This record gives sequence, structure tokens and C-alpha cells, in this order.
Amino acid sequence: MSGAIDWLLLAEFSLVGLLSGGVLALIALGFVLVYKGTRVINFALGEFMMVGAYLFWTANVFLALPWWAALALTLAGVAALGALVERFVLRPLAGQPVISIVMATIGLGAVLHGLAEAVWGGANLSLPELLPRKPLLLGEILLPGQVLWSFALAVALIAAFTAYFRWSKDGVSMRAAASDPVTAYAMGIDVRRTQRLTWMFAGVTGAVAGIIVASMTSLSPSLGTVALGVLAVVILGGLDSIAGAIVAGLIVGLLESLTVAFVGGQARDLVPYLVVLVILMVRPYGLFGTRDIERL
Amino acid sequence: MTPIDRRRFLGSGAAAAGLASLGLPLRSALAQSGEIVIGAAPPITGVFAFAGAGLHAGLGDWVEWKNGQGGIAGRKLRYVAEDSSYKVDQSVAIFKKIVAQYKPPLFYGDSTGWAKAIAPELSQLGSVLATGPSFASDLADPAKAPYYFMPGPTYSGQIEVLLEYVSRSAAGAAKPAVAFVYSDTEFGRDPIASGKAKAAKLGIPVVLEVVTKPGAVDVSAEVIKLRRAKPDFVIFHGYVLAPIPEFMRQMRDAGMNARGMGTIYTMDKTTIDQMGAAGAGFLGVMPYRYSFDTEKTPTMALIREVGSRKPNNPWQTTFYTQGWLVGMIFEQVLGRTLGAKKELTGPNMKAALESIGKWDTGGIFGVPIALKTHSIPVGRVYLVKGSTIVPNSDWITIG
Repeated sequence: MSGAIDWLLLAEFSLVGLLSGGVLALIALGFVLVYKGTRVINFALGEFMMVGAYLFWTANVFLALPWWAALALTLAGVAALGALVERFVLRPLAGQPVISIVMATIGLGAVLHGLAEAVWGGANLSLPELLPRKPLLLGEILLPGQVLWSFALAVALIAAFTAYFRWSKDGVSMRAAASDPVTAYAMGIDVRRTQRLTWMFAGVTGAVAGIIVASMTSLSPSLGTVALGVLAVVILGGLDSIAGAIVAGLIVGLLESLTVAFVGGQARDLVPYLVVLVILMVRPYGLFGTRDIERL
Repeated sequence: MTPIDRRRFLGSGAAAAGLASLGLPLRSALAQSGEIVIGAAPPITGVFAFAGAGLHAGLGDWVEWKNGQGGIAGRKLRYVAEDSSYKVDQSVAIFKKIVAQYKPPLFYGDSTGWAKAIAPELSQLGSVLATGPSFASDLADPAKAPYYFMPGPTYSGQIEVLLEYVSRSAAGAAKPAVAFVYSDTEFGRDPIASGKAKAAKLGIPVVLEVVTKPGAVDVSAEVIKLRRAKPDFVIFHGYVLAPIPEFMRQMRDAGMNARGMGTIYTMDKTTIDQMGAAGAGFLGVMPYRYSFDTEKTPTMALIREVGSRKPNNPWQTTFYTQGWLVGMIFEQVLGRTLGAKKELTGPNMKAALESIGKWDTGGIFGVPIALKTHSIPVGRVYLVKGSTIVPNSDWITIG
């Protein structure tokens, strides 16, 4: 194999890896939103993805609604689920140790998994192809259409959330409440409302990610396990950093692709997370995470 | 309360011991003359539920039908089954419970994990002959697992059938190239080494091996490798559905003409239907005849007749056919053992199983089969064509 072809191969795997990182970043965003807003790692995010994908399947395939109506219903459904979770699971636990809240999200995940299995069964379901599949050819480099479009969608959603937090009144309130809830409350911000909104947005990002992932593979209750694999991305980026989620998503996507290319699929999970481990040893709060300073 | 003196106490103890010693042969004698229990731990729920309901219904319906015919050697059958949820600890517990309670001579398990876990106990018991839906290659070993058999070819055997097909499809002297795509699981890795050896023997170049997680989300990088390796056939193993459809779609998107091939648990029509357009032209090995096969055969007609009596019965699936076939093999084992006036012990049933040769299943297999190797080394390659699956080869016997 000549050197020129090697470079092409490297370029192709690198580009595909970076683009695949878009979906990882979108899933990571779901974790970051909740952590940023409530200081809770939502271990039920994968189940939010799964429920979102099932709701979309029900509306689009079972009820034969057009995709846009199905998507609107799905997003409304998961937003409502997020609000219910905040009201009836998280709010009663306010002030409790973090481990109790973490356990509650793990329990919530198990409940949603069980409910999905009871309602939709354990069989694999297929979602229609939502994103254009036509690949983009750059000379000898081929970029799969759905990877390209899922990246574009992830970028658009992340940009929309970033703009919302930067410029909208609710977004600024959410940032204020996340940064210092007591002061925010004293300034007249409805902290409960901002926390409810946080969970609703996390549900929406989870549902969109779930629909993308399910349309690329298949839909079953085990779809939720995808999110746990993304937890390392979130930790690498920094639990409370949207920019970190994006950069870490791209890094892990790139590492996974290069690992498949030059090491083999069996090391796909191993090599990227070894790199994550090394980075965390140098920067334990992640690439962009807030460095907590505790003074005794 | 009447006080018991020493003599009465000793006397009653002796009587109890005598009754107990009489009881064992009595129970054994009953096991050899009363109804015959077939135990089972089918995975009716859990991740293998898509197959488990059919496996359970197939064997259960066969027992009902056989009893309607008068049973075997004048003895009725009793099917005792409990859902295993496809969890090894649960299926092992169900096996132990049913064996302790009913002393079944025959048992139908649920997984490779279960079969490997109970293999030593089967050897120790020496009274139960077991089978299950696992086709793990190392389970078809009469020396290591003497009381276990499988109702079809091993996974290695299935890959051999596919490679034979590939070899026979060569237009000229050069054999088509294949790539193996398999999951990084015991199930996925099972037939790969023997598959590569078989390919080398047949002169088939293996241009790439791709290992993935089962159900992997993103296969873009893997498809780049396939595109550059240019195989003529891509053999998928170690999956049920995902990520095969995504591989097929991305291969088509990338302009590849390679044919996808699958093994038994991908080839049921319910799974193929879920592939949608990605399944068009897909090939795969299936040891059994499909219920919708256009060639009419007596056993498939009987399955249709009996299976369709109940509403929502999954009789059209290959899983149901497998359950029914297990019943038919049990009948052969019981009939041959009892016909020779032998007790239903492990060694006697094993000998009966291994004596099955040139057996006509009435159409489930298109050729007579044998169980000497504790597996059935026969399969046929099918093609997904439109909304149906059609035979694309003769019945291929391997090994």
C-alpha cells in the first residue's frame, strides 16, 4: 500500500469519526444540561432516549402520523415526562445526599425500561429512515449521508441550546439558578421552574438522540444502554460544560474510528477510554469542567 | 399425648426406613411406566423472547398432538415448562426444580450458558437427555457432553454451508472473496476459526474480519474497511438483527455489490421483515423448511394444521418448527429406547439418539438426517426475494 493511500485512509476514517462524534455530543448534551442545572448525573438519560424513540415509533409507524406531527407529539411527550420526573422524583429528594438522587435516577431508568418492555414488548422494531442517506464523495473519500446529516442535526440542536442559554430570559435564569440557586431565588427567579425546564430540555435532547440512534439501528428496550457508553464523553468534556460535551464527543468519535481502522473492532471501546483515563489523570475535572476548589 | 416408649419408637423408625427403601424403586418403577415428563425452560420473556414463544408453543403443541395420537408406547406425555426469561441462573434453577420434582427423562433448555452450566450435572445424573436452541459448536461433542444434542447444525456447520454455497457459486477458477463480520461475543466468535479453516480448504479468500459490539450504533468505520476490502460476500454472525440492516444499507449507499449472508437466528422471516428494504437480496442458512415453502410436505402440513388451531399461535415461525422438531426427536429417542424394552436412562437414550440415521423428518429437512454427532449437519441457503424467502440451494450436508 503506498503512502498516499494511507493518508487517504487516515483522512476518511478521521472525517467519519469526527462526524460520528456529533451524535455522541448530542447524547452528552443531555447529561450536561441536567448536571449544569441541578448537579445531578441523570443515569436514566438512556431510558429517556428509548422512550422518545418508542413514542416516535408509536406516532409515526403505529398511528401513521406524518413525521413532523409524530416528532412534535414525541417531544411534547418526553418534555411532559421530564417535568413529571422533576416534580415527583427529584423535587421530593431536594436536600438529600447526592448518592440518594443518583440511585433514584438509576431506579427511574429501571422503571422506564420495565414499562417500555411491558407496553411495546422486547422485540426489535424498525423506525423509518428519517435522514437523507446519499453519501458525499470527496474524491476517494466517502462520507455516509446519515452520519453527515446526524452531525448537522446535532450541531444545529447544540447551537440552538447554546443560543437559548446565552440570550433568552429563561436561559439566563436557568444559568443563574444553576450557578447559585439561593441568590437566584432571592433575585426573584423561580428556581423550581428553571429546574423543571432543565429536565424537559434534557428529555427533548434525549428523545432526538434516541430517534437518530434507533433509525440507524433498531428499536428495543436495550437502546438505553447506548447512553451509558457516552458517560465517559461527558466526564472527559467536563460535566457542566456544553463546549466540553461537543469537543469530547468529537474526540471520542475520532478515537473510535481510528481504533477500528488501525487496531480492530474489539478495541473500539478500549482505546478511546484509555485515552480518556489518561486525560482525566492530568485534568480530573475534564477538559472544560469547572474546577471545584474546596477550602477547609 | 401418648408417651412413646423406646420399643415403639425403634419400631416406627424401622417401619419408616423400610417404607423409604421401598419408595425409591417404587418411584423409579413409576417413572418407567407412568406418564413421561418433558421438562423445559423456554425463554418466553427477556431478550430471546422473539424466539422463545415459538420454541415453547412448538414443543407444547407437539406434546398435545402426540397425546391425542395415544402417546408413545402406550404412555402419555406431560410437558412441564417454566419461563426462564433467558437468564442462566433462572433456567438452571428451573432445570433443578423440574428434575427434582418430576424426574423428566428429557429436557429443553434455553441458551448456550444454560447448556454449558448443566452439562456436568447431566453427566453426573445420567438420567436426563437435554437439548436447547443453542448451536454452540463445542456442545455437539458426544464425548464431552454425552447427554446433550442440538436440533440442527452447529454455528460452525452453518458457516460451512454458506462457504460451500460461495464455493459452488464461483463462475470461473477464482473463488469469490468473503469477509466475516461478527460480534465480539462467545456467540459471534464461535465459528470464525473453523470458518477460516474451511474457507482456506475451499480456496476462498477471506479478505477481511470485522469485529463489532452486538447492536453497535455506528458502523460507518467498519463499512469503510469493507468497501476497501471489496468482498463478494459478507457473512454476518453473532447477531439477531442490529447492526446487520445498517451494514447492508451503508454498503448499498457506498455502491458495494457484496451479498450479505446470515445464520439461523437472523433468518427467521419475522427478523428479515424488520430489515425492510435493506434485506433485499440477503442470503442465509436455515436448516429447516419454512412454513411458507411451496413444496408440500407431510410434517409442514401437520404443523400448519395443528398450529393454526389456536389464535395468535406463532406456528409460521422457524422457532415453532424447531420446537416441533425437538418433540419429534424426543419421540424417536423414547420410541427406540422403550421399543428395545430398555429403561429411560441417560446411556440408553444417548444410544437411541445416536442410532438415529437416515431418518425422514417428513419435510422439515429435505434430506434424511442422522444424529450420531449430536447435531444435524444439514442446511439450505435461502434468498430474501421481495416479501418472501425462497430456497437458493439444494440441501447441503456438511462434515
